Amino acid sequence: MKGIVIILFLTSVLVDARGPEIFGYFEPQYNGIYQFRRYYHFQSNKLRIDLKNNTTEYLDFGADVIFLLYFGEKNWNLLNFIPGRISAQVPPEMRLFYNFSYTDTLFLDNIYARISNTHFAVTVGKQQLSVGAGYFSNPTDIYNRKNVFDPTYEQTGHNGIRGDISLSRRCNLMMVLSPLDINFEESGKFVRIKSGIGRFDLSLVGGDIPMILTDYYHFLQTRQRRIIIGGDIVGEVLGFGVWAEAAYNRLESSSNFYESIVGFDYTFNSGLYFLLEYHRNSSGKTDYRAYDLNDWMRFFSGENKTLAQDQVYGYFQYPLNDLFNVGGSVIVVVSDRSGAFIPTFNYNILENVDFTFMFNLYIGEEGKAYGSNLGPGFLLRGRIYF
Amino acid sequence: MKEIIICAGLFIFSGLLYGNEQKALTAEEIIKEMSVRLNPQTSKAKVKMTIMTTTQKKRIFIYKLFSKDHGEKSLLKYISPSRIKGQTILMLNDARDIWVYFPRTKRIRKLASHARRQKLKGSDFSYEDLGASNAFVDEYNAVRKDDEKKEGRQCYKLELTRKVKSSAGYSRLMLWVDKEYLIPLVIDYYQDENPGILEKELILSNIKLIDGIYTPMKFVMYNKLDNTKTVMEFTEVSYNLKISDDLFTELGMQK
Repeated sequence: MKGIVIILFLTSVLVDARGPEIFGYFEPQYNGIYQFRRYYHFQSNKLRIDLKNNTTEYLDFGADVIFLLYFGEKNWNLLNFIPGRISAQVPPEMRLFYNFSYTDTLFLDNIYARISNTHFAVTVGKQQLSVGAGYFSNPTDIYNRKNVFDPTYEQTGHNGIRGDISLSRRCNLMMVLSPLDINFEESGKFVRIKSGIGRFDLSLVGGDIPMILTDYYHFLQTRQRRIIIGGDIVGEVLGFGVWAEAAYNRLESSSNFYESIVGFDYTFNSGLYFLLEYHRNSSGKTDYRAYDLNDWMRFFSGENKTLAQDQVYGYFQYPLNDLFNVGGSVIVVVSDRSGAFIPTFNYNILENVDFTFMFNLYIGEEGKAYGSNLGPGFLLRGRIYF
Repeated sequence: MKEIIICAGLFIFSGLLYGNEQKALTAEEIIKEMSVRLNPQTSKAKVKMTIMTTTQKKRIFIYKLFSKDHGEKSLLKYISPSRIKGQTILMLNDARDIWVYFPRTKRIRKLASHARRQKLKGSDFSYEDLGASNAFVDEYNAVRKDDEKKEGRQCYKLELTRKVKSSAGYSRLMLWVDKEYLIPLVIDYYQDENPGILEKELILSNIKLIDGIYTPMKFVMYNKLDNTKTVMEFTEVSYNLKISDDLFTELGMQK
C-alpha cells in the first residue's frame, strides 16, 4: 500500500503532458557464506523504479524508489564475524545488542528537481553526491563509503541543495549544503573546485560536516564536527592512467586523521585491463592485535573505512568474448598480512540482462582484517533492466 | 557539323584536363580534402549501432552524437538500451581526452589514452575510430597507389603508414576514396604491432547529400580477427547547426 502511495505521489509530481519516462531494473541476488562448518544463505529481490521528466529545457525532475525483499538467513549476530578473543569479552546479556536483521524495505532512494542551463545547475532534494578519483575508496567523499568488494555498486542518495557553476570550459565549482540539522551552523557544507591543467584534471575540496561516532561497548553515540580539506588529481603518465586523492580530517573531539590513495591503470591491446591502488588511512591501526570491539563494529557500520592503516587494492578484467568478462579484485592489508580475493564473472546474456558471479575468499589468520573466520562466500546477481 | 566537332573536341580536351587535374592530386591533398568532407564544422546525428557478436547474437545501441570544430570535440549520449541509457562519452582533442558520465551514480570518470583503442560497448569500433577526426592527416603519412574500382565506383587508392612518433592504434591503413565524392568507401586497418595483419575493414555506403554535404549513412566494420561485425547507421543527420561549446563540458554531459 505504502508503495502504491509513493508511486502515485511520484507520478503526480512528475507527470506533465508528455508524461514521465519510467525505467529501472529488477535485481534478484543470492548470497552464500560458509562459516564455522555451517552454510548460511540469503537472497534479496530488489526492484528499482526510476521516473524522470524534463518539464522544460531548463527544469527536470528525477526520482527512484527501491523495493527490497529479503529471504533466507535474515538475522545475523555481528559478534560471529569478530575474533573470538574480542567477542568473548561481551557479556552474554549484551550479545543481543549486536544482532543485525535485514528487513524488507521500501524507500525513496533519490528525488530531486534540477534547474540548469549550460553555465549553472541547482539541484534540490535527495540526490547522488559523490566525488573523488579513487576506485576502491575516496578520501574526499564525505557522503559515501564504498564497498571494497563491489566498489562501483550504486550508492543511496543524500539530502541536499547542490549548486554547480561552470567557470570555464574545464573549470567547475560545486557547492553542497546538506541540511542535517535545524540550524545552518550544524548542517553540512561542502565545496569543490575542479579544473583541467593540460592532460590532468585537478580538484580541491573543503567541507564541514557533522560526524557520528558510536561507542559499541556502551552503545552511546557522540556527534562532532568534521572539517575536511583535500583534493585529487587524475591524468596520464607514460601511457598509464594515474590518479591520487588525499584528505586531512580535523575532528572536534577525536584524533585528527588523514587518508590518501594513489593508483594507476592500463589496458593492453588484448583488452586486459588492470588497476592498482595504495590506500593509507591514518585512523587505522598498524598492529592487528590492537583492533578492538569499536574498531570492528565501526568498520562494519561504515563509521571507519578500514581497520588497518595501509591497504593495497588490485583489480583486473579480461573480455573472454564480447559478452563475457572475467576478472577479480585483490585486497591486501599490508600491516597484518591478510587479504581477500574476489574472482568475478560477468555475462551479458541478453540485451538488457546481466549476470554477475562473485566469490570472496579470505586469506589470513583469525583476528586479522580479512581473517579466514569471516567465512568464504559467493554472490550470484542478475539484473534485468526495463 | 564543324561546331559539333569543335564542341566534342573541347569536351574531350577539358575532360582530359580535368582527368589530369584529378590524377595530379597528391595523396596528402586527397586525405586533407577527405578529412574536411568527413568532419564538418558542426554536426548532430542519431545513430543506430548493431553489433553482431562472436556467438551471432545481436546487440542494438542507439545514441545521439554531437560534434564541433571539425570533429575535434564530440559527445555521445546513449538513448537505449535501458542498461546504459543516459551514459555519455565526451571526447576532446580528437579523442585524446575521454570522459564517461554514469547517470545512475552521477559520476564522471576520466579515461587514460590506453582506453582509446578499446572497443566502444563491445562493438568493433574503438573510441579512436569514432573520435579521432583528424587522425588520417595528423597520425599517418599517405602514399598514392594506382587507382582502383571499389564497391562499383572509381576510387583513389591510398596507403597510410603511421608516423614515427604517432600513438595511433593501427600500423597501416589502406583507403579507397570515391573520386566523385572524395569520401572513403573502404578502409582496411592493419594491426598495431604487425602491418601485415589485416585487423578490421570498414565499408561506407548509402551516400546522401545532406545540407550540401555528401554523407555516408551506413558504416559496416568487419573485425577480421574476431569474425564479428558492427553496423552503424545514421538515422538522422544535420550539419552547420549552432552548438554551444558548453555542451562539451562536465555540465553539458549531464544535461
